Parts: sequence; structure tokens; C-alpha cells
Amino acid sequence: MKHVQALSVAGTTLLLLPEKAAYWPEQKTLLVADVHFGKAAAYRKLGQPVPRGTTAANLQKLDRLLSTHDCRQIIFLGDFLHGPGSSAATHKAIAAWRACHSTLDCLLVRGNHDVSAGDPAPELGIHVIDEPYLLGPFALCHTPARHATHHVIAGHVHPAFRLSGRAKQSLTLPCFSSSADLTLLPAFGGFTGGFVFNCAEGDQVFVTDEESIWQVAGAG
Amino acid sequence: MANGESGLLHATTGAGKTYAVWLAALNAYAGATPSKSKHAPPLTVLWLTPMRALAADTERSLLAPLDDLDIGWTLGLRTGDTNSAERAKQSRRLPTTLITTPESFSLQLTRPDAHENFSGLKMVVVDEWHELIGNKRGVQVQLALARLRQWNPELTVWGLSATLGNLQHAMEVLNPQGGRLVQGKTPKELRVDTLLPPEIERFPWAGHLGISMLPQVVQEIESSATSLVFTNTRSQAEIWYQAILEARPDWAGLIALHHGSLDREVREWVELGLKEGRLKTVVCTSSLDLGVDFLPVERVLQIGSPKGVARLMQRAGRSGHAPGRPSRVSIVPTHSMELVEAAAAQTAIAARKVEGRMSPLKPLDVLVQHLVTVALGGGFSADELLKEVRSCWAYATLTDEEWAWALAFVQNGGSSLQAYPDYRRAIPDENGVWHVPDAHLARRHRMSVGTIVSDSSMAVKFWGKGGKSLGSVEESFIARLKPGDHFLFGGRLLELVRVQDMTAYVNRAKGKRPAVPRWNGGRMPLSTELSDAMVARLGEASRGVFDGPEMQLVKPLLDIQLDWSALPTETTLLAEVMVSREGWHLFLYPYAGRSVHLGLASLIAWRVSKHQPNTFSIAVNDYGFELLSATEIDWEDKLNPRLFSIEHLLEDVLGSLNAGELAKRRFREISRISGLIFSGYPGSPKSTRQLQASSSLFYEVFQKYDPGNLLLTQAQQEVLRQELEVERLEQTLLRLQRRQLQIQHIKRPTPFGFPLLVERFRENLTSEKLADRITRMVRDLEKAAGGEADEDELREQARFSMAEPIRSQSEKSGTRRPRPQRRTRINMPRPRHGF
Repeated sequence: MKHVQALSVAGTTLLLLPEKAAYWPEQKTLLVADVHFGKAAAYRKLGQPVPRGTTAANLQKLDRLLSTHDCRQIIFLGDFLHGPGSSAATHKAIAAWRACHSTLDCLLVRGNHDVSAGDPAPELGIHVIDEPYLLGPFALCHTPARHATHHVIAGHVHPAFRLSGRAKQSLTLPCFSSSADLTLLPAFGGFTGGFVFNCAEGDQVFVTDEESIWQVAGAG
Repeated sequence: MANGESGLLHATTGAGKTYAVWLAALNAYAGATPSKSKHAPPLTVLWLTPMRALAADTERSLLAPLDDLDIGWTLGLRTGDTNSAERAKQSRRLPTTLITTPESFSLQLTRPDAHENFSGLKMVVVDEWHELIGNKRGVQVQLALARLRQWNPELTVWGLSATLGNLQHAMEVLNPQGGRLVQGKTPKELRVDTLLPPEIERFPWAGHLGISMLPQVVQEIESSATSLVFTNTRSQAEIWYQAILEARPDWAGLIALHHGSLDREVREWVELGLKEGRLKTVVCTSSLDLGVDFLPVERVLQIGSPKGVARLMQRAGRSGHAPGRPSRVSIVPTHSMELVEAAAAQTAIAARKVEGRMSPLKPLDVLVQHLVTVALGGGFSADELLKEVRSCWAYATLTDEEWAWALAFVQNGGSSLQAYPDYRRAIPDENGVWHVPDAHLARRHRMSVGTIVSDSSMAVKFWGKGGKSLGSVEESFIARLKPGDHFLFGGRLLELVRVQDMTAYVNRAKGKRPAVPRWNGGRMPLSTELSDAMVARLGEASRGVFDGPEMQLVKPLLDIQLDWSALPTETTLLAEVMVSREGWHLFLYPYAGRSVHLGLASLIAWRVSKHQPNTFSIAVNDYGFELLSATEIDWEDKLNPRLFSIEHLLEDVLGSLNAGELAKRRFREISRISGLIFSGYPGSPKSTRQLQASSSLFYEVFQKYDPGNLLLTQAQQEVLRQELEVERLEQTLLRLQRRQLQIQHIKRPTPFGFPLLVERFRENLTSEKLADRITRMVRDLEKAAGGEADEDELREQARFSMAEPIRSQSEKSGTRRPRPQRRTRINMPRPRHGF
């Protein structure tokens, strides 16, 4: 059990954080996948009541990460907004958050939800690009497709790992996974489901309970 | 009835309840309406039936006397199957008698002209009331009746019911303002027996399907002109149908399969075939429990446990369905303990110990749905509707707070503090009359009326243009198959071709080893009446009394149980404690049915872990439960009378609920009925799985951000009442307190413990911090990686150590007991529901 796990990959080091994000010290960059801002609001709009508070909780979590790690930029690996026509309240909350971090570079690699949701409003100052975004040894993507020359870091699948132990117990937890050419990040958002993922031989897998992080496969 | 009295008519099946009520209705209301008159009288009688399939049959029955007596009444059907021409005709003018289902009728109440349409109604007949009273559909009927009584206070309401243990309650729920209970005089002759397996040696391990009984079952089918073979699950029906057909290929065309997932046309064909006596036998599930009379049926076979006395009687009543003819049912045990059940069922029936059914109390989700229904159907004023709602038995004790909450919920989706401004279903206008302002939401509500929640299902069709529809299977089953895989459905071997737009396209296939769909139907718990009778039989056995052929046959197994451990009796509570590589096991056998066992297991786990954080894995069956812990527990010390105390019962059960996983699952049904989750328009190509999967997500979000939401509270209460049967739980605790606890330390699982040990479906209950659990599991994982624990080893051990003494029974002593792991070779298919 640790509060941060260092992952050596593609000749550099990533810090995997229990908040379901990764910090890349060499580039002072925070990597965040699948926030799905406004998902709860989208459900409310369809007439399904979902309590408020998920957007605020996501933003607070980002604040916490930015205050504990020295960040020059934050890169969202797709699915920043959940759907088209996100509510004014959601937009306002994100804008207020952005205003507090005006010197921070924000980058969004377009994901499938972003295509239908449309790019975030220009006044948010989020630079939007298509995948893959090549940075150092990495190809930063939303969808986990292999890249010919670079190690891919991606989200999209909301990976989860099924942990089982003695006495026939099991738990499903969000996870990071890393192989020779691909690293997957868990979904950052608080109102997102998980997809149980079958790791291949040799994959490194880390699970988190939002406070700590454990390596469960591929140690050493 | 002529005096305008209401009531409940009880009689055994085949005694002519339908005609008794119908002729009385005609006598009271038809007066002189010659068939020649230009217009048939307006809507006079409403006939509610729980099953669509029954509606057409009822129509035929009711039509006959109209013709014979030359009465100019019209009859009409209104169910989900009614075509649009008939619907249009009815919206111009309703027939004199309308036959419909609770759901279709509630839908009628959403029409703006509902008041106009139904205020002339004189009488309502609720058929098969015993099927409705115990569930939310029955509550829907209660609310609808209250509506109708508001419009016509003179309305008479008659229910028809089969045997129940609490008919007076059934009458009061249907007619809260009073009525008369009429009971049929002639008790029906009922013969119950058991098909005995030839030997027991191999028998306990034959799995829960009981296919080893096939030769006897085939023989019994042979000997009757027409019979019904009841199974407890749809999968079991598929497997049995296939097995019978393989045993008797010459019966192709003479035997059929009937269950709720088959296409309507297929089911209707089977029902007609039964009626006309063209079929030799039909393998069926509870889909044929009800209604339609099949006169030719001479014999009923019940595969596996009947679970309850009333249910066994109901199924038995499907044979000899005419006044004066005997009903005959044979129980086909699928594992050896069911021999004890069969013996017990006979004593219970002989003593006429039949289960009762209680109406649900204050289900808020049904109320919320009803509020929107009434708002659509002409609107309501809050005060008047409250009075009307409280006139229902289920809501008589509805508090002002609960009412205010329900109103607030339809108005803005939640408590007034936490508003959901985007979400409005019904709002009051300036005169205080509530309406639904949004046409889109109105349409959505009409699509979701009803309280039956099914798992997301997928149509099964033959591949190709105009391919015939076969029925539906659960999406989760199809999701596990790849194109080219084979599966058994509707009695056919099929190959999956492709999945597209929520339809599984298939071709006929040849070959072996198909998969069989598993439908997640509710598993009924063993009733108190039946389990009491079982414990009485076991008590006799412990005193050396083995009465009847069933008990004689199961004796070797009970002897082993007695030798290694003990038998539960009326005065003792048996506990078995075992340590294995998996951890520390406790087996307890209260014989109180699976739902009470789940509650009891959770309660005990919770009480033990309150002082010492721990995580338990729980397995239950109808006879007992297992608690398994990865860390050491001294059960000898923990198992004391305080553990079975009823003090702080509700508090502790609620605590155990929050620590467990049950409430989350129940939330799905509640969120669907109250309209929190919409399962989609029919034919909409989008998978409903997205929404269904999100109900657990919804549950978590609600718990985190709106914990005061009453739907969460209701999820908990429903779990308490329905899943855990908390009242039965309390009674069980009281009874267990009076029993003497008998703790047995066992080295290997006993015949009673083994089926629990290998049960795969488990609940977890934890009072530990998540981080501690993860840390422990990671440690286990590392140990396992070090090559220490072999997952299936214990299971193997259990198998062999179980199998061996049974062999040694026949070989007798003399030979040294062999080391179990390698030498003994008795093949036991993995049991799931029993052993």
C-alpha cells in the first residue's frame, strides 16, 4: 500500500496517483483521462434525477492534485465533456475553476464523447487537438490503439481490475495498467462506471481506493 | 351480489368460480337487454386478470352464457397484445365488459377522459387475486380500485382466489371498507406422491437437474394420456424437454415446452394443444401455474422442490381440472434432501398447513407512479387524492411526511432542500390541480406503467428475411456467446449468427454440448410451513424413525450426517465449525428458507464483526448458511445467545445491509418503477444495459450526495421485507433462542455442509476498511504467486472426502481407508442449488 506508485516506462518515470490520475515529473505534467464533466447534468436533462455535486467533487480533486504536484500543464486524455449541450451550471463551475488556474496550460486530446459534445468553449482556454499527441517518448491518446514508434498513454476503457483473495472474497477496483507499448489510465470522473479488464501476462496493474495505490500484477 | 355486496370468493381450482361470479353479475346488471337492441349497454363490468394469456381464455368463458341466455352485452379485451383497430374501436365506445390486466388498466387511467369512461362502471372482478395480493401489482390494483370507488361509491368488487393461509386478509385488502368471504364447500381430492430413485449411492451427486430420474419420468408420462411437467426454472425446463425428446424421439410433435421467455405465438399454440388434448406432455415453468383450464391433464410431475405447500397444491390443481375429479401430483426429487422435502410436503398437505400472503406495505415507488398516472388522467387535488390513497389497505398508515415527500418527488425529483430543477413530472396549477406539463414526459410515463421489472432481454429470431421470432433471452447471456456458438432455446439447438439492434439472429444447428441460457428469475425461498415439516421429519430421523419410502431411501445419507456431526431437530440448532485453507467456516442449519438465512447470516456476521472488523463471504440455501472468514474466529466463543437476540434487531439488520451488497441490487427495481431510470422505448436500438448498469452507479451517487432520499430508504425497507423477510427473521430468532445450540467441530464438510461450501453465488459483508481488505488480498495474491495455494484444491478435497465414505458404506470396513486425493474416482457434476 502506497500513496503514490512510480512507474518506469519508455525511459522516463510516471507517478501513478490514487486520485486516478498520473503525474509526469520530467514534463511537470498532470495526465487525466475520462472526466466526463456534466454527465450527471445530462441525465438530469433527460428527466432522470441525479444528485448535484459530482462536478464540484471532480474539480476539487483536480485542485488538490495541482496543489500537491508542481504542474506546468494538464493534459486531458479525452472525454472531457460527457455530452452535447452541457448545462450552464456545469460550464460556470469549470470556468471558475479555470480562472483560479489561469497560468496553467490546458490541453485536451479529443475523445469519442468530445466529438459529439463539441470542443469546450474557447473562453476556457483549453487547447484541443486530435490523437495522437506526441510528447517525449509518449503518444498521448484517448483510445488505446498501438503506435508505431511511441509508447501510448490512453483512457477510454475505464479499466477496472477484479481482485480476489482467500475465503472466496473479491473486489472490483479502478486500475492503471502498463505493458511494453501501452499504459491505460482509469477514468478520473466520479460518476463513471468501470470495465473489468483482463490483463495479459507481464502487464503491470495497479488498483486504487482513491486514497492508496497497490500493485497487483507484474511486480518486479 | 344482487344486493350490491362486495367480497372474495374462494374455491379450489376447477370448482367453477368464474361462472359463479359471472352469472351473478349478469343476474344483477343485465336485466332485460335483448341482443336485438341497437346499442349494447355501456361499460358495466371490468374483469382484471393477472396474465395476458388468460385474458383470451376468460373472454371465451364469459362469452358462452351471453349467447346461451341471449344477453346483448359486448365483450372486449384490452392487454398489451390488443391490436390498434380494437384499441381505436374501444376509444370510440367501450364494451359492456372489459377484460384487462392491472398494467393495461392503469394505462387507461392515464387518459384524460378516464373519469368519463369509467364512472358508469358497476362491478370489478379481480381474477386470481392470490397471485396479486402479495406483490406490487396487487398494490397497483388497490390504487386503481380506490380511484374507481371515488367515481362510483356503489361499485362492487369481487375477488377470486385459490387456497391461501390468510383468506380474511386477502378479502380485507381487496375490500378495505368491508365485504363477504365466500368459501367453496367441497374440498378437492389431492393425491401427492414421490418418484423414488432406484438407489441413493450415486444420487446425491447428480446435480440439481435430476436428469438421473429421466427413465421414471418418461415412464410416468407414458402411463398418462396428458401430463404437465413443472420445473422451477426456465433453464431446467429447456434441459428436461431436450432430455425427454432424446429418450423418446417418437414423441416429437407430441411433447412441447412452455415458459415465459418463449414467443407468444409459440405459447398460445402449446396452450391450445393442451386444451384440445393433442399433446402428451408439456414441460413448463410457473408460466402455466395460473388460469387457463386444461381439462385433459390427468397428471402433474413436479421436478425438484415445490418450495411451498400452496404452490404444490396450485400445480397439483392443474390436473383433474373439473369438479369432482381428483388432482394428482408426483414430486421428482433432484437431490436426496428433496426426498425429505417430499415426505414433509405430504404431511403438511395432510394437515392443511398452507402459506398465507401479505400485501406489501406503503411501497412509495408505486405511489409515485400512481401520482403521475392520476395527474395525466385528468389531474388531481392533493387533499382529495390523499384521502383516496389512504383508503387503500397498503397506504392506510401513510404519514403526512411520506405523502409530502411523494408529491415533492414528482414535482422536482427530490426533497425540497435538494431540488432537481431540470426534472419536473407533475406540477400543480393555480387552482391546486396537478397536471403533467411536458408531453415528452407524459409519453415516457405511459411507456413505463407497471411494476414488473425484468432483466434486459434480447429478441431471438431466425436469420434471414422475415425470420420467425422465437422469444427472448437475457442480454447478459447472449453477451457471453460468440457467433458460431451453440445454445438451447425453445427446445431447439441454435447457432448464434449475429447480434444486431437488440436481436440475436440464429440458425438451426447440429452437434452437441450447447450452452443453456440462465434466466435470473427470482428464487423462491422454502416456506415456513414446508421447512417446519422437514425439521419434524429430521427430528424423527434423529430418534431412529424413518417413516415412509422417501425417508427409508435417504437414510444412508442421514446416517453419515449423524455419524460425522448431528441432525437438526425441533429442539436443537446445529452448528458445524471447520478450518480449511480457505479460512474459518461456520455452517448453521436453521431451516428457515434462503431469504431468512441471508438475513440471519448477515446479522450474525455483522454482530460478530462489530467488535472485530472482518469480512465474511456468505453462502445460503434453503436449509442453512455458511459464513467464511479469511481470519481466525473462535466460533465456540462467539456463538452465544446474545447473537440471536431480537434486541436492536432492525438497527443491526440495517447496519448489516449497509455493509453488504443487497440494497444496491434492490435499488434497480425501485428506481425503475418510480421512473428514476427509464428502460427505453420498445424497439429503440439503444441497449438498456447502459441504464441498468448505471443503477448501481446511481445508487452510489445518491448515497454520497443525497442520502436522505426516500427511495434509498425504500430500497432498504424492501430488502428488509422481501429479500430478508424481516418479520420471519424475527420469528426465526425467537424460535432459535428456544433451541439448544449444538456445535460440532468437523474435519471435512458433511452432507449438509458440502452444498454450501461449493455454492458459487455469494454475498460479501464487511466492516473492514477497504484499504485493509485490499492489502490482505494483495498479500494473498503474493502468497499464491509463490505457489502456495491451489484454488480448486479444497474443492477437490471436499469432493473426494465426501465421496469416499459413501463407497465405504457398500464396501464395509476391512480395507484401510485410502488417501482420498488420488484413489477414489466418483464423478460429481458441480452442484449449484443443492447436492
